[in-house]
Amino acid sequence: MASASVNVSVEAVQEHKIQEVTLDGQEIYIPPLSMSENLAKLAHKIDFYKDESEDKGKPTSEGEKEAEEEASKAAVQPSLWPWDNIRNKLKAALTEMSVLLDVLNIAKEKRYMLLDHVSQDAPEAKSAIQLMAKKKGLQSAAGVLLAGAERLKKSQQEMGNRPQNEFHIELLKLRQNWRLKKVGKTILGDLSYKSAGSRFWQGGSFEVIKNTNIASGEGDTMASTRSSLEVVIPTELEGSAFVQVEVKTVEGSMNLTSAILRMPHGLGPYPSDAHWQTKLEAAQNVLFCKELFSQLAREAVQLKSFVPYIVVGNQIISNVFPNVQLSIVLCHSTGKKDKKSQHPGKVEHNHVLEHSLHQLLREVHFKSLNMSVPHPVTATIGVTKRRRMAGSEAIGRRELLEMTESETLLEQIIKQTRHAVLRLRTMKVIDAVASKYPDPQICAHWSCLNSSLESNVRVIITSQGYEAMRPTWQSMYLEIGVNDIKVVTRERRRIILSFEEKEIEDLILWQISQHHIAVCQSLARLLSWQYISHSSATGVGEMEDFATASSVLLVSPNSDKAIAVRSGPTTGLHVHMKSDAKDIDAELASILEAKWHNLTGTFKEVDLNRIDGRNFATKLELIMASVTRKR
Amino acid sequence: MGTIDVYPYPVPEEKSGQQVVDTIQKQLELLGAHKSGNFCVDCESYQSNIQTATQQRLLHLFHNSEQPATCFSVLDSGICLVSDLLFEVLVLKLTEKKTGKECYYQQRKGFKVESKGQRYELGDFIVKVGSVILASNFRGILIEVEYCPCVIPSECWNLMKEFMQSFMGNMAENPPAHIKSKMDTIYTPEDTIQQYLEHFNNFRKATSASVPATPNR
Repeated sequence: MASASVNVSVEAVQEHKIQEVTLDGQEIYIPPLSMSENLAKLAHKIDFYKDESEDKGKPTSEGEKEAEEEASKAAVQPSLWPWDNIRNKLKAALTEMSVLLDVLNIAKEKRYMLLDHVSQDAPEAKSAIQLMAKKKGLQSAAGVLLAGAERLKKSQQEMGNRPQNEFHIELLKLRQNWRLKKVGKTILGDLSYKSAGSRFWQGGSFEVIKNTNIASGEGDTMASTRSSLEVVIPTELEGSAFVQVEVKTVEGSMNLTSAILRMPHGLGPYPSDAHWQTKLEAAQNVLFCKELFSQLAREAVQLKSFVPYIVVGNQIISNVFPNVQLSIVLCHSTGKKDKKSQHPGKVEHNHVLEHSLHQLLREVHFKSLNMSVPHPVTATIGVTKRRRMAGSEAIGRRELLEMTESETLLEQIIKQTRHAVLRLRTMKVIDAVASKYPDPQICAHWSCLNSSLESNVRVIITSQGYEAMRPTWQSMYLEIGVNDIKVVTRERRRIILSFEEKEIEDLILWQISQHHIAVCQSLARLLSWQYISHSSATGVGEMEDFATASSVLLVSPNSDKAIAVRSGPTTGLHVHMKSDAKDIDAELASILEAKWHNLTGTFKEVDLNRIDGRNFATKLELIMASVTRKR
Repeated sequence: MGTIDVYPYPVPEEKSGQQVVDTIQKQLELLGAHKSGNFCVDCESYQSNIQTATQQRLLHLFHNSEQPATCFSVLDSGICLVSDLLFEVLVLKLTEKKTGKECYYQQRKGFKVESKGQRYELGDFIVKVGSVILASNFRGILIEVEYCPCVIPSECWNLMKEFMQSFMGNMAENPPAHIKSKMDTIYTPEDTIQQYLEHFNNFRKATSASVPATPNR
């Protein structure tokens, strides 16, 4: 036996017991018992009247039996030694452990004992019965599968036989696209934009009913195309509607811009037996237009402006510029009336404005649904990030005030309209001037990156055939805003123009006159003429209607000819040439050198029309070349 | 936000504070300034309440009507925290007593200082003439001059000096002490608060010196 190798020590635990942990984390310990106290405590625990042998379960080994006998002996005389009981139990435990160890040793190490599998006889195979059982199982499984297949086939056939526009299938389709709910026996739907962020008072509920007409139908082709589901739309949403935006000059009825707001699909009356999808979309469009118009009308009444906005019936009129009006009309045709209100002739409408009109209300909807997340979560909802950071970034009063300002729909539309009008005007003026004055070429390069409130154009004035002479390019940059046009000229002069067309035209004419002077200067340099003087604002001569005329004086390389060019925006071009002073006697004693002859002489105007050349630059070059004498 | 200089303006013995304020305002109006509302800068002080710490530390809480969404808190060490107004709620929590615990900060009673008065605009300048009120008693006058287009004090000091001398006389010979140390850095709203703190502390000291019998807490 290996029992001798195991040592068991009995010892009290070294740790002190904790009696209490105070709130500040201090632990109060119980001081350990002394030997005699401990003994007394343990002795208290022993129940001297209990028979130890009764508790024992069945003995597992012989050693245990012995221990049991010993224990029973000890129990008879318990007063002899209080530790006896414990000793006996420990001994019994030790014996059991030793036996367990021995058994393990025997089982594990092969030299004591070898364990072998016991071979059993295989049970007799009853193949016939097994086969029967398997067959039966398979048959029942096949039966289940076949029944299922049959049912599937049947339902498939039913689906195929059923008409395509069966009520429930239609309802399913409807449910996929529209919000429906069942109230009592009726099915109600909602076509308003409330779930998309609209706060319009008017609801858009419709009723879904089963179309019983076709059930008893004559079987015509007409009936088969009709749906078995019908929607009942409230009368105020029937028909089709659109918001027509028109910009017109007050005197004439000529339209500068016209835009028609409509939803992507179908404008115009639809037949009464149209598909429910068409009907619902049209009704939704009506609702959208109504909301847009009522919003605009409300703002028009509330907003203060110099020229008040006029709201009459279904029309809002506001002044964009003097003599230019913006009228917003809500056109709602119920489909039964005439089509006069729909202006079928106006095909050419501004797509950009149409699109932006679309966007504005959608943006309002979007903003009312999508607000930035509050930080921290307990903060108020709907605060923009900039406002949230305002505190910690110490943003001043003025910026905070600016943050609270927001533009109404009407103001935005008017701004966009103003810009559209300004842009159109500028475009027309540039085109008109370019076609009216063919001599210098006028090119307008419109920037492709525009916003609805700002666009840019660069106007370049060149002379045909002389484009390579870069100094003659007279380019200016026009920034078209909402109320005015900012112009940066070639010499980086900044000019702000109002909305009047005349100002742009004047500016271009003035730039043309400047271009002529630039051409003179460049040609003089090219042909080595001398450039004597230049004045951008000549005080003499005919008065200009606006701006000032410029003049330049050029002298030929021999200094015997001089050309004076005066170019004004309204007075046009005048070229004068100094002819020889033949009236002075060459042998006059007071003239010491020939060059002094050049001092005198009279200027005569050159008739530019009689000089060959397609534009001023060619003509001037021709004049300069022809009068230059060889040395 | 531009550069701001804050100066105390002396009140002569024979005149009341309101009279002096009126004179300055009249002078400003003669210069062509126009009124643009009122302004107010106020400061409350809290002291720390931790027994173990040997020294009680102060926390000054500022509001400036020019930055209405902001609350500035300055420690003794000069550290300035710029925060949202919600910070006040936090301070309120810190001053609350809890069961069995002392509060972390205590408000100093009778220590609230504010400077308020008219706000004037004159071209690029904003002038604020404020009467300093300490515990509902008038204590003096602070004049705040802002030059909006420039944020670097050294760049615009001479201009501001000339302007200030036109109505304040020789008060503004040198830049304020706080600005002097950072003439070439970008001016921030914190710097305004630091200047006010300096002046407010001076007023408080003057008060406690003149009335030594009743020390504050």
